[in-house]
Amino acid sequence: MVEPQASADADRAPAPDEESVREALRRVDDPEAGMNIVDLGLVYEVEVAVDRVRVDMTMTTAACPMADMLVAQARRVVAAIVPVGTAVEVRLVWDPPWTPEMMTGIAKTHFGWTF
Amino acid sequence: MSANRADRPAERAGLPPILLRGPLLLLGFVALVLGVGAGLARLGWSVGAPLASQAPLHGPLMICGFFGVVIALERAVASGRNWAYLGPLLSGIGCLALAIGEIGFALWAFVAASLVLLAACAVIFSRQVAPFTLTLVAGALCWCVGNGLWVAGSSVYQVLPWWFAFLILTIAGERLELSRLLAPAPGAGWAFAAILVVIGTGLFAAARGWGAQVFAAGLLALAAWLFRYDLARRTVRGRGLSRYIAVCLLSGYAWLAAGGGIILFAGGLSPGAASYDAALHALGLGFVFSMVFAHAPLIVPAVLRVGVPYRPMFYLPLALLHLSLLVRLGGDAAGQFAWTHWGGLLNALALAAFIVVTALAALRGARPNPA
Repeated sequence: MVEPQASADADRAPAPDEESVREALRRVDDPEAGMNIVDLGLVYEVEVAVDRVRVDMTMTTAACPMADMLVAQARRVVAAIVPVGTAVEVRLVWDPPWTPEMMTGIAKTHFGWTF
Repeated sequence: MSANRADRPAERAGLPPILLRGPLLLLGFVALVLGVGAGLARLGWSVGAPLASQAPLHGPLMICGFFGVVIALERAVASGRNWAYLGPLLSGIGCLALAIGEIGFALWAFVAASLVLLAACAVIFSRQVAPFTLTLVAGALCWCVGNGLWVAGSSVYQVLPWWFAFLILTIAGERLELSRLLAPAPGAGWAFAAILVVIGTGLFAAARGWGAQVFAAGLLALAAWLFRYDLARRTVRGRGLSRYIAVCLLSGYAWLAAGGGIILFAGGLSPGAASYDAALHALGLGFVFSMVFAHAPLIVPAVLRVGVPYRPMFYLPLALLHLSLLVRLGGDAAGQFAWTHWGGLLNALALAAFIVVTALAALRGARPNPA
């Protein structure tokens, strides 16, 4: 799952920090939910090193057949913001299982939760 | 977050399964063509001798053939187990066996396919023990029971409620999962469980006079539950693909209610009666195919790795599906067979339009962006 990535946009890109990686991942939507994977709480961990970026993410359910597709999209948007030659690894993890409480306040408000 | 559970992508995305998925999905579409042709023959359309000979097998071809392949394939992709691909393969083989008249072989192929699907759902349940994964298991179990009864000599008419329960519970389980995104609603989970008990009671009591009505009451209650608690109520206010999916879902729930209502009003399912055609097609075409239309832009990319970007033209086949079904059911209600006859043809055209529109979107999606 570790693939050196390159893109024209990333040629002169500075090394990103964790927040910019999360911001990029906000461009990946779960189309069924109509909400991005970060605010859904699907991104568990972002680790940024000099020559690699690792993202651990999950799905709302293990029965979701869209996992491969969303993982590939996540890898693509991260690869677009890292310098050429940076390895981008996006791992699908199931532990801990996702729960609705993991959603951000933005998502909860969108879905009608009251606080 | 344990590292040993983080290596599933490789398991899920192994190359041989991806290469297998296209031919498997093709088997499903062969079943769809045969099943639709058989349906048109039942309505008196001239479709040629090979398809006309399939007329009595319209239901098995659609449910065990097309939906068997598609649902088992979707679950195989989600489970990430190579053996789970035997499910859609066996369904497809069963469909081909039906087409060449090897009915006995087909029955056993469908039994085996449903057992593989049940095992795949059990894998998913063991990975995530939850009410919605249990509902998926219950749906697969209904298909197993229906196929088992068919092998044991029951008629298609007798096993149809089990087959429909397979489709309806599979969809209900998926929607229950997504309903978790909404703010927790007191009693919603218990209400869902009670509805499943009612549907199950109706299935087990099918031999008694009141069984079908209890089953129908369960379907009506499920439609009400979905209208009340489904995520679609919120996403319908969104835009683009999310809104399109929600429109498909909500219109499908109306057909689920219509199907349940017709069975209840008619006092059961009587083969040959106009209410039989109306109820089964409200459920099978109106409800289940609305779900297929909704999820094709998600499932086709997930299964085939081919993008199907949203296009407003997605609404055209959906509108044709609903309007053609109104014509068909209007004919059933008014005793005007000509409406049912033409409505059936328009139903088939709606499915054809859906395939064309999906393929066009996929082709446009495959074009490289002019960067």
